[in-house]
Amino acid sequence: MIAASDTVSLAPGVGLGQGALEDRVRGHAWPLNSSGAFVLARAGRPVVRELAEAFSLPVEVARADVLHFVWLLNGLALVNVESQMSRPRRFTEWLQLAVRLAPAGTMPAPVARRRALDTRTARRAFVSSLAATLPRACLVASAATVLAVHFAVILGAGLVVPVLIGLGTGLGLGLHEAAHAALLRGVPSALVIRGRRTYVLHAPVTPGRRAAVALGGPLAVSALGVGLVLGGIVAAAPALAAAGWPLAAHALALTVAGGDGRVACGL
Amino acid sequence: MRALKAFLLGTVAIGVVAYAVVAGLVVVVQADGRTLDLGIGPVLIASVAVEGTAKVATFGPGLILVALLGGVVNLVAAELIRDRSRG
Repeated sequence: MIAASDTVSLAPGVGLGQGALEDRVRGHAWPLNSSGAFVLARAGRPVVRELAEAFSLPVEVARADVLHFVWLLNGLALVNVESQMSRPRRFTEWLQLAVRLAPAGTMPAPVARRRALDTRTARRAFVSSLAATLPRACLVASAATVLAVHFAVILGAGLVVPVLIGLGTGLGLGLHEAAHAALLRGVPSALVIRGRRTYVLHAPVTPGRRAAVALGGPLAVSALGVGLVLGGIVAAAPALAAAGWPLAAHALALTVAGGDGRVACGL
Repeated sequence: MRALKAFLLGTVAIGVVAYAVVAGLVVVVQADGRTLDLGIGPVLIASVAVEGTAKVATFGPGLILVALLGGVVNLVAAELIRDRSRG
């Protein structure tokens, strides 16, 4: 959802070149017409009225054009949308839109957010990816904990296992992307979050390395999950074994049901 | 080669998940002092039995069977995706 009061900023790794929008991560450039260049040169502030005046357009036409342009660029993760509303207000607006769209069986379109990754060394890539996924990982961990606690209360079980499952779910997301990033040492990369999807965008690499990067994320996390399960067996600690479940479940990303598995299979 | 990759990845993925779930289940059952007998027909996946004062956990060939079935399903799904992308 993009509100009329929102502004845009060029995503990390994206810049304005000679009449083109350049993505240093992908290594691509998109040519810009004069109105496109006008909008992006004023990134960070409201531009609709300025555009309408400069190109002699009705304000509503300019607003529709800007909105279409921003959706297009955001869909390519080339611009980030900066909301001027508070989080509760944004959530309320999203909820209202979702209710209006519900009869059509659709949801408000998700907005992409691209964050920078420092891939100069594997360690920096790992840490910067963890930092970039932290808000999303916390959200996922909270949601998973609430869900697991809900079932634990119904089943009359303790709260340690559901809390560990929730933490493992959030940790798994962060580690999965961090493992991808660590394998992209020296390759320009960025982390993109769009709706439910979280992925690492990177410059073209050899097919072998691409497959290795795709496999590295799920393999690293699921190996940690199996390690925790084994630790649970050795220590006779069911809670430890349960904490390994959400991490081990990342192995499912190796199948063609997941994007990583499809990349590894060359699909 | 692509088919082999799909089969191997499916086998590893389902094998890892099945092992984690079954092993976790075995630990929980052992901690609760109960017994478990899990299998696909006659093929044992895992069991927890009480022998005297000790609880004995056994993993059977059922886990390998589950993993191989996962590989076959992944292979079929990969072929379907490939066919769809061609058509």
